Amino acid sequence: MTTPTAPGSLHLTQLTKRYGPVTAVDNVSLQIQRGEFLTLLGPSGSGKTTLLMMIAGFQEATSGDILLDGTSIGAMPAEKRGFGMVFQGYALFPHMTVRDNVGYALSVRHRSRAEIAARVDEMLDLVQLTTLGDRMPGQLSGGQQQRVALARALCFAPPVLLLDEPLGALDKKLRIEVQAQLKDIHRRVGTTFVYVTHDQEEALSMSDRIVIMRNGRIEQVGTPSDLYQNPRTEFAASFLGKSNFLRQGGAVYALRPEKIDLSPAGSGPARLRGQVRDMAYFGAVLKYQVTVPGGEAIEVDVDAWRGGDPLPPGTDVDLNWTDAAAVRLDG
Amino acid sequence: MKPSTTARLNTTLAWVLLVFLVAPALVAIPVSLTSKTFLSFPTDELSLQHYRKLFGSAEWMSSFWQSTVIAVASTLLATATGTLCAIGLWRVSSKAGEVMRAVLLLPLVIPPIIAAMAFYRLFVPLGLIDSYPGLILAHTVLAAPLVLITVSASLAGFDVRLEQASRGLGASGWTTMRRVILPGIKPGVMAGAVFAFISSWDEIVVTLFLSKFSVYTLPRRMWNGIRENTDPTVAAAAVVLMVVTLVAFLIWALAARARAKGLKHG
Repeated sequence: MTTPTAPGSLHLTQLTKRYGPVTAVDNVSLQIQRGEFLTLLGPSGSGKTTLLMMIAGFQEATSGDILLDGTSIGAMPAEKRGFGMVFQGYALFPHMTVRDNVGYALSVRHRSRAEIAARVDEMLDLVQLTTLGDRMPGQLSGGQQQRVALARALCFAPPVLLLDEPLGALDKKLRIEVQAQLKDIHRRVGTTFVYVTHDQEEALSMSDRIVIMRNGRIEQVGTPSDLYQNPRTEFAASFLGKSNFLRQGGAVYALRPEKIDLSPAGSGPARLRGQVRDMAYFGAVLKYQVTVPGGEAIEVDVDAWRGGDPLPPGTDVDLNWTDAAAVRLDG
Repeated sequence: MKPSTTARLNTTLAWVLLVFLVAPALVAIPVSLTSKTFLSFPTDELSLQHYRKLFGSAEWMSSFWQSTVIAVASTLLATATGTLCAIGLWRVSSKAGEVMRAVLLLPLVIPPIIAAMAFYRLFVPLGLIDSYPGLILAHTVLAAPLVLITVSASLAGFDVRLEQASRGLGASGWTTMRRVILPGIKPGVMAGAVFAFISSWDEIVVTLFLSKFSVYTLPRRMWNGIRENTDPTVAAAAVVLMVVTLVAFLIWALAARARAKGLKHG
């Protein structure tokens, strides 16, 4: 495996994109490290895809700049930036074989036939498609097309690879498999990955860092565990994982369902007392809905193996958690 | 049994309509086989004499040749300009572009006689009357909108991400057009070319205004043949004209079918 060249750090400075009165991306500044797996996570309309398209050069920023290793590329057309891109729906060239698709970037750079063939072999090997090189894209399954798209985008050893919801069209089981492959490929090629998704599990399982986006702005940036354990806003806490929100003296606290201890009432001191309203069995966990004074329902996840017998609805219960478990949110 | 009655009625109506549309053109076939020396249906015997006369006549053959040269040249020009124009409008995709598209389609809306007069007024001072370049240019202007329409229809179904993918992989705009966009819209380009060829091949109104002696296309010679005498050679020429048009259409249809198969089986 040839290692790509050293560059690949991106610096976004106050990037803004407006469509008439609508601001799709609003004053986003972000530093992306070389070789990092960075995920832009957000619901639809959060501006994550627009941001990616601006990095790719397919959309022009209204204001702000993009720096690649310190050099401004904001005014550079997409074909000069030399970034790899994996599109939603893959966008494989339907009239070319798999090999011609993968070798396209080298072919338009007028490399020799022998060099292209060798590199295409290497890439097909990387994505484990060596036997399918002469097929047409239409003859491949969704997962295979996705890997061809990845090989095509990596074939010219770009400093940055941009991925726009590349697993969106795959079924859930295949998706988890491909996540592991993607992570493995990222480790092997060392390219900077900028990955767009609305799927929080994808973001948590693959990323070095996650950028949570909302309404065109960055809501919070951090490592997966940092974001999960220390969300700063209600949006971050509820978009990444599940959370209960407790209001005490004007402050709001986020409390993850699995960080609450649930026990039958009267067995000791309790932070909150409530009554089991409903319980759902998920194999590894029991998910309780507990009604507490004030009428609110609190979600509690109990480890099915260690948590003892399921408690039927109507049971009075005590809820306890440590001080560290409840995270105070901003504003 | 009611739906079947309606279905049968529909089929009958469709056939009647088809005969109504096609029959006038087919009349030329029996007339061209008449053994008489004036335009008439053959009564007692069939004869190929008018075909012999047609293919033996230096004048008719020269007209065939001229029509072919003009049709091929204007097809190439109209296909190139119409395709480029469609891609340009597709890339720009703005309100101003749509206004521009409407303007470009005007030659289809304007009555041919008006267009012919406009060409005449314009071409006289330019010295393009009665010349190949003049007729080729006029037929190109008339045919380009046909190409614009068919190519635009193909582009409407073209995934814009393919273009982005190509550019993202480092291909210039020109390379992207040649290697990704054109192969994707080939059916539209081919269809446009066939329509352009046919429109030039049997164009008469503008040709009447723009040609005198040195350029004498096939439809022009037929027009004169009918006006000056009732020589059935005209009918023979009409049959040949139709056959060429049909062949052009068949080539396109077969190519389209082969491509559909090719995509399916790789």
